[in-house]
Amino acid sequence: MKSRESKEKKSWYFNCCKKPQTMDSDLSDQENYTKSLEKLVTEQENIEADQKFMYDLLVIGGGSGGLAAAKEAVNLGAKVAVLDFVTPSPRGTTWGLGGTCVNVGCIPKKLMHQAALLGEAIHESAAYGWQVPDPNIIKNDWQALTTAVQNHIKSVNWVTRVELRTKKIEYFNALGYFKDQHTICGKMKNGEEKVFTAKNILIAVGGRPRYPDIPGALEYGISSDDIFSLEKAPGKTLVIGAGYIGLECAGFLNSLGYDATVMVRSIVLRGFDQQMANTIAQEMERRGVHFIYQAKPSKIEKQADGRLLVHWVDKERQTHQDIFDTVLFAIGRKPLTEELKPENIGLQLIPETAKIDAIDEQTNVPNVYAVGDVLHKKPELTPVAIHAGRLLARRLFGNSTEQMDYVNVATTVFSPLEYGCVGLSEEAAIAIHGEDKIEIYHAYYKPTEFFIPQKDVSNCYIKVIAFRNGDQRVLGMHFIGPNAGEVIQGFAAAIKCNLTFPKLKDTVGIHPTVAEEFTRISVTKRSGLDPKPQSCCS
Amino acid sequence: MFRTSLRTVRTALGSKAFANAPAREQAVSTAFKVQDPKDFNDRVKNSKVPVIVDFFATWCNPCRMLTPRIESVIAEKQGKVLLAKVDIDENSDLALDYEVGSVPVLIAMKDGKVLDRIVGLQDVDKLKQFVDKYSE
Ligand SMILES: Cc1cc2nc3c(=O)[nH]c(=O)nc-3n(C[C@H](O)[C@H](O)[C@H](O)COP(=O)(O)OP(=O)(O)OC[C@H]3O[C@@H](n4cnc5c(N)ncnc54)[C@H](O)[C@@H]3O)c2cc1C
Ligand SMILES: NC(=O)c1ccc[n+]([C@@H]2O[C@H](COP(=O)([O-])OP(=O)(O)OC[C@H]3O[C@@H](n4cnc5c(N)ncnc54)[C@H](OP(=O)(O)O)[C@@H]3O)[C@@H](O)[C@H]2O)c1
Repeated sequence: MKSRESKEKKSWYFNCCKKPQTMDSDLSDQENYTKSLEKLVTEQENIEADQKFMYDLLVIGGGSGGLAAAKEAVNLGAKVAVLDFVTPSPRGTTWGLGGTCVNVGCIPKKLMHQAALLGEAIHESAAYGWQVPDPNIIKNDWQALTTAVQNHIKSVNWVTRVELRTKKIEYFNALGYFKDQHTICGKMKNGEEKVFTAKNILIAVGGRPRYPDIPGALEYGISSDDIFSLEKAPGKTLVIGAGYIGLECAGFLNSLGYDATVMVRSIVLRGFDQQMANTIAQEMERRGVHFIYQAKPSKIEKQADGRLLVHWVDKERQTHQDIFDTVLFAIGRKPLTEELKPENIGLQLIPETAKIDAIDEQTNVPNVYAVGDVLHKKPELTPVAIHAGRLLARRLFGNSTEQMDYVNVATTVFSPLEYGCVGLSEEAAIAIHGEDKIEIYHAYYKPTEFFIPQKDVSNCYIKVIAFRNGDQRVLGMHFIGPNAGEVIQGFAAAIKCNLTFPKLKDTVGIHPTVAEEFTRISVTKRSGLDPKPQSCCS
Repeated sequence: MFRTSLRTVRTALGSKAFANAPAREQAVSTAFKVQDPKDFNDRVKNSKVPVIVDFFATWCNPCRMLTPRIESVIAEKQGKVLLAKVDIDENSDLALDYEVGSVPVLIAMKDGKVLDRIVGLQDVDKLKQFVDKYSE
């Protein structure tokens, strides 16, 4: 951001005085003089700005990143407004204030995941002596589940609304677009347009699910925008796409008692450690989720009975078909940047993805910033959007210089058996550092609580990637097992503090937990030794 | 059990009855649902008798329990005090103007002025005490 800001000011000077100047030259006296001149002018500009514009910061998009930035900015004394507007999904689903995570993302997903885990626990509890009536006749009531989930979401919407009011952040339920660099038009629900001006503008509009260009997709398909509030139980479901969303949705649907199939175009969980990703798929398959590999849907038709006939093509170009009640697309998300009329301010987007390649959250238009899912090659995760938004507000209004660190962000795939990781995958570590520079430690393990109900432990697996020599710094940690998110979070902090393998081994575990397995890990892949634990009787 | 009680409350709260016979309903009923800020102005702020305003949300469990309780307490007062129910999702700005944070909130109003407020679920005795003060 610094560099761009100075670039902007320098070019101002450039324009006025026509004095040639190189960007990266050391500061000469002449430049120092120029700098102080710039400073004066900028201060002057600041004073004007405060009177000229309605707001110090206008945030387009009241989701994770936008709200975090807005709250931090008002705390630092800025005058802030937030526009948030939800365009209905192709199927007509809409929701309230707070963005993707709260309404159609992390929160409902985690609650449905929890519902799935509880179902599992009912079955296990019999082995622990609970006198449950035949667990096989216990069913989940989809309406009761979605009502409970939606009620929670509505309460969060309300709390968000109250918080904005208490913090004196002006909120408008309006769809914003750029008129010029400092002016935003907001279209309200009733069609009326309102004009807002601001010194700084933050783009935090996130994204929406993509649909493939095949017959029937838009008419009959649904997405993660719809599933958490679906009025009717989804029934036999085809999930297309094998990213986070595809696997998580197929996972909880299967556990809730619905026949679920994942259609994989190429590989599962692209970008993740592939050994771990395949283990997750294997575990889901073991639990009853079906996988169709190397296939692409080609057509969806509605039959007379209302069910959906899906056609797909495999890698041999053979066509197949099957009947489903629900087809859910989870093939990635499209940022809502083109809808902002970026051409009106010359805002540059990456042509293929429409994402914004911001430098330190600053776009090529100096007073326009961006955080969250709209950012090019940054993790699409809520805490990333929140942290970046908060730090940006501190730099804009709190004289901070702290930048967002997008490296080593931990994440978890909430598949029925969770997968959490931080740092490099095995493939990435090898590609970056070379195979003989790194050591890969791995282990299978048996969670204590799995023994009595005789739960399958074959996919409880962990992996640590570290430098082989020198300080043996840990480069990546991977965990498949119960509560993976809870397990990996603390290790992410350790990695941020430059955790080394000896330090990890020197850490005394907490017994009996699953997280302690990381402190016991010792078998390297290079050794070829068996990473399976000793067993007593199986 | 839970679902039935939910349904009962929903029906009780439904605006349908008012839509069908607004004038009569208003005349005989001691409880009504506020439709919009104008309605609030007409029937609450300009009411001749004190009004208890019940700010509730459909997603709030304690609200579902409180509403029938306050309804029965008000019904006993035979029109000396009225009950106005405000769905905070339908009338968010109104609720925010009255500084409603967590729900349920009961506000006692007379001549357009707030006299008293209680936040959270209350038992019937507490509700009686609260209402008695304004039904003399
Ligand atoms: C199914 C699912 C599960 C997920 N699970 C997780 C998880 O477990 N953990 C995790 O960390 N992340 C998860 N994510 C990702 C997470 O939700 C996003 O990374 C996060 O919400 C991004 O925040 P944001 O601020 O960029 O945008 P959003 O939260 O998407 O907010 C953008 C807001 O702007 C509004 N808007 C768009 N255009 C305009 C406009 N022109 N004018 C006004 N308003 C506009 C939108 O309607 C929206 O309300 C999940 C996502 C999905 C879809
Ligand atoms: N737990 C969490 O933290 C969490 C949960 C959910 C979502 N999220 C965030 O939300 C983002 C979006 O999730 P996502 O799962 O929708 O997207 P994603 O991770 O980008 O995965 C998209 C999947 O769809 C496939 N695909 C793409 N185009 C297709 C097409 N035309 N036909 C068939 N398949 C196609 C991709 O296959 P290829 O590999 O062949 O391209 C890939 O498997 C994620 O990146 C993640 O950051 C986070």
